[in-house]
Amino acid sequence: MQYQTFLSKRYLKRRWAPWAAALAVALGVFSLISVLAVMEGFKLEMKERIRGSLSHVVVKGSAMRMLVGEDPLLEAARETAGVEAASPFIETLAIYRSTVLDYCILRGIDPSSEPKVSDFGLYLLSDEEIDRLQADRFLMLPDDRPPPDPQRVSEMFSLERRRQMLRWRLRGDPSVGFDEQAPPQGLVVGIEALRSGRLALGDVVQLSSYSPVSYEPRIGQFIVVGAFQSGVYEQDQRWAYSDIRALQQILDLWDDEAQDMRITGISLRLSDYSQANQIREQVQQEIGRRMELDPTDGDAIPWRSMEIKTWEEQRENLLQAVEIEKRIIAAMMLLIVAFAAAMIFLILMLLVIEKNRDLGVLRALGATRSGVVILVLKQGMFLCITGAVFGLLGGWLLIENINQIHELLYLATGVRLFPPDIYYLEKIPAHLRWQDMVLVCAPTLIFGFLGSLLPALWAGRRDPIKALHHE
Amino acid sequence: MNDLQPSHPVLSARGLCREFSLTEGRSLEVLRHLDLDIHEAEMVAIVGLSGVGKSTLLHCIGLLDTPSSGQLIYHKDGQTWRSPGLDEAQRCALRNQFIGFVFQFFHLLNDLDVLENVMLPAIVGTPKAEWKQRKHEVEARARSLLDTVGLSGREKQAPGTLSGGERQRVAIARALINNPRLLLCDEPTGNLDSNTSEKIHTLLRQLHEDFGTSILVVTHDPDLASRADRRLAMIDGRFESAADGTDR
Repeated sequence: MQYQTFLSKRYLKRRWAPWAAALAVALGVFSLISVLAVMEGFKLEMKERIRGSLSHVVVKGSAMRMLVGEDPLLEAARETAGVEAASPFIETLAIYRSTVLDYCILRGIDPSSEPKVSDFGLYLLSDEEIDRLQADRFLMLPDDRPPPDPQRVSEMFSLERRRQMLRWRLRGDPSVGFDEQAPPQGLVVGIEALRSGRLALGDVVQLSSYSPVSYEPRIGQFIVVGAFQSGVYEQDQRWAYSDIRALQQILDLWDDEAQDMRITGISLRLSDYSQANQIREQVQQEIGRRMELDPTDGDAIPWRSMEIKTWEEQRENLLQAVEIEKRIIAAMMLLIVAFAAAMIFLILMLLVIEKNRDLGVLRALGATRSGVVILVLKQGMFLCITGAVFGLLGGWLLIENINQIHELLYLATGVRLFPPDIYYLEKIPAHLRWQDMVLVCAPTLIFGFLGSLLPALWAGRRDPIKALHHE
Repeated sequence: MNDLQPSHPVLSARGLCREFSLTEGRSLEVLRHLDLDIHEAEMVAIVGLSGVGKSTLLHCIGLLDTPSSGQLIYHKDGQTWRSPGLDEAQRCALRNQFIGFVFQFFHLLNDLDVLENVMLPAIVGTPKAEWKQRKHEVEARARSLLDTVGLSGREKQAPGTLSGGERQRVAIARALINNPRLLLCDEPTGNLDSNTSEKIHTLLRQLHEDFGTSILVVTHDPDLASRADRRLAMIDGRFESAADGTDR
């Protein structure tokens, strides 16, 4: 047995103060690992929800000239290996007046192809679901909903649905004065717009925007035919969908030069997102090639400036903000670990002072200076590692049971630490990554080592003769 | 004098000097060109007033302190070690294997029980890989030594529960665990009453005769000094007679 291990056991067995330092390390690691796991879970959850609303890759023209040649664009994209589906879209900012003056991001989509490139079809709510979600403002769509019917999106924007909604609306107030045979265009809004009372199903709203072609204000009448819940609060509050053809007419997107309607861009779904960069290059090359062709060629796409972005690049700022927030919190919380290491330092210094005579005796009995250094260092690192292991274990247990614990706390105190309406999450998301464990443990061990090294070196430099004369 | 006839020296000190630097460039010479031989199975007592350099001499011989000049030569089984010329590891190995220390204030480790205190030098000196094989042998020797010093059955007791005399017995057993060639005793009864001191004197002498270990004892106690084979008086860093240290 190495005498350092033997003596460390004896010293630690009979004192509680060193264990307070280990407890401090454990609490530091526990807090850090729990916070990082929740932040990571939150990030993943948010990413998943944003990803669902966006397609994998978007080909987008400039804000004013936009893109033209919808058919060859879609053809170019669909012919590229790795592209599963493509769908055109228009995106514009619009204001509307309901109970208050408000704005929305209006997306014109092709109802038949949009469900193939995004999860819009999945997020689309049935009338019954809208009633349930409006009745309970904390309610989220269950994860195990039946798979959406591909026809639902088309039905939602269909003339029949618009007529049905208008009929229902007119029955409530026959003096509105709309023609049931020519109902306004359909509009699907986020559930939060309904929950906040700004809009209601069947509402006829006037949306105002500017045409990027004529720079003139354009106005369109829409009827709220449905609602969606994407799980991203901002989207559920501000986004609205309409039929792309109707929106092209309203915004007057006819391009005289190309003799075609303009679109903001096309959305692509890839068969394997991990290949996104490669596929993006190929799509760019193919579209670029077609833009170079003679305009009389059937495959030609009129030249317009464009950019191709993955959905992560599109929402880079938001995703980076969460990542930066996570790093800042981790850095701040490392202070707890540093504090714990400082405790180890102080306790070891006290131990060296207390055990000064013992260390002198050990030197007299044949222990080397480095042996004494290792003796103190071993104790510090043992406390640090023990604390880190228990902290990790505690953190893991908390993460595994975080929602049950949260529920128990709610039942006991009546306070929700994680209100679903604020975070827009029914459950606290938590995801423990090995990288985060390394991120927590490495600084902990480094701090612990540094906190132990100084007392250890100091112990090694003590004069054994002075120590032996001390009684 | 014991029955074993002293023969070869186990320790030789030649021209040993120890100076301590004071302020303003002055220095204090505590040991002045000392020559000393301690032979196998010899018990030597060094007496003298406080401050004459007895403990400093003991610390230099015990390799806890480094002489300013002079040489220390340790002999064991035909091997010789000379200081200066020893590195840290050799000095520590000699302290562990060649020398046994008995201190005035016993210096037992309160976190260990009696048996563990006795085993401690063996634990310090045994590499981790060998400990498993040696453990039982060391423990048996520790129990036997405790039996010899009259503390059989007290193995699991904490040192704090023992009397002064008992603690010194444990310290003596600890000093002997590695079967050292030289036992260095610094005022071993300086902290004990006369009755207990007498028992320790008897024990030391008895162990000396039983084990044949050479003993160098620094003491104020005339009774203990009188039990030694040789008695050296120190005055101002020297032996009273220059030839004393090497005489037999």
